[in-house]
Amino acid sequence: MMPSFEILFPKNLNDALNAISLYKEDVHIIAGGTDVIPGLNQESKRFKNTRLLIDINRVPEMKGITVDQEKISIGAAETFSEILLNEIVQKKLPLLWKSAGTIGSVQIRNRATLAGNFVNNAPCADSVPVLLAYNTKVEIESLNSKREILLNDFLSAPYKTKLGKDEMVTRINIPIPSSKLNGDFYKLGRRRAVAISRITLALLISLNHNMIDEIRIASGAVTPIGMRFFDLEKFAEGQKVEDQFLKELSKKLGEQIIQVAGLRWSSEYKLPVVQQIFYQLLKGIERRSL
Amino acid sequence: MELRFKINGNEVEVITEPYIRLIDLLRDNFDLTGTKEGCGIGECGACTVLMNGRAVNSCLVLAAQANDSEIVTIEGIAEGEVLSSLQKNFLVHGAVQCGFCTPGMVLSASELLDQKPNPTDEEIKDAIAGNLCRCTGYKQIIEAIKETAKELKSK
Repeated sequence: MMPSFEILFPKNLNDALNAISLYKEDVHIIAGGTDVIPGLNQESKRFKNTRLLIDINRVPEMKGITVDQEKISIGAAETFSEILLNEIVQKKLPLLWKSAGTIGSVQIRNRATLAGNFVNNAPCADSVPVLLAYNTKVEIESLNSKREILLNDFLSAPYKTKLGKDEMVTRINIPIPSSKLNGDFYKLGRRRAVAISRITLALLISLNHNMIDEIRIASGAVTPIGMRFFDLEKFAEGQKVEDQFLKELSKKLGEQIIQVAGLRWSSEYKLPVVQQIFYQLLKGIERRSL
Repeated sequence: MELRFKINGNEVEVITEPYIRLIDLLRDNFDLTGTKEGCGIGECGACTVLMNGRAVNSCLVLAAQANDSEIVTIEGIAEGEVLSSLQKNFLVHGAVQCGFCTPGMVLSASELLDQKPNPTDEEIKDAIAGNLCRCTGYKQIIEAIKETAKELKSK
């Protein structure tokens, strides 16, 4: 049964920020609401005492996808379907485009937003590894402040972020990556659609002849939160892309994931799968780059 | 709160509460019971309706969020007493068994054919991936959608 609550539809950013500054407690911001609405209906503890929803779909400052020299900026109320229709995203951010197409189902993608996917910092959020690999920044506003921080810093702990009680994520800003970076995204779920991910990996590499110039590695679902592997990236940079080294790198990634996530009942299965998938991703990118 | 929609082509006004879901409004206020509630969490797709031409799970949308929009339910797909070609093909190809998933399947398929009149098998599978059917095994449903695409093309 749905608990009773009120809903507001602010028509501009100032009204939205004003509403959140007035209520702060017991309020949730929604766009698609594909997480919050069933949560409320199931009387989930996460949404206990909810008194007010603020729907941001009619806030123009939080809509649209804009492009300039340095970045692509995606509004917090932009749905996955809208992102999939954007040709610049498809061309410049192919991993984001690919991962957007694997989110939920058509019905979910028509409502759910990219910001909504990471703003509660669930470990299984599919778009997070990809956004981390792209060095994504999050634009955050309150009535009296505006700041931009790296998504990597925004996501502080499982189900926790750096978002203040009177703040909203307004836009997602992604630096346009160098055309030398090639990459891929992998997702494993139990069903073709609407499946909670078991493993997600994102990988970007630029090669200089046979040498790794730059590499960015990120995971989701297998780690307590989506994360980058900066140590491993440093270890790999400057190395030659020889089969022996790619195998070693895959082995090391598996070891690091176990270090972060701890041994679990599923590790016996997931560890070799992660290592093999990562190795296959590396080989695929190598084939396409050389 | 007072809301306005177009439902299956008719302008309607209704007074409801902010916490009422679109599926409940359709079924309880308008008797449009072709829209089914299966899981209530967006996994089964039985509650699929079109909102401004796009397929959505009506269990995941609040009625208030659909204000000013155009809604099409399964009752709006047939033209009066005449079934649409999609509906006819579902019958001809045995794509209906218990029928609980059928309204959602038909609406997901109609969004697909609207956006991509000439879909590949993969595009059909992707379009109905959010709709569960526990009877048919999907093969007949996919055939029905393919056949409809063919018919619409030759028209």
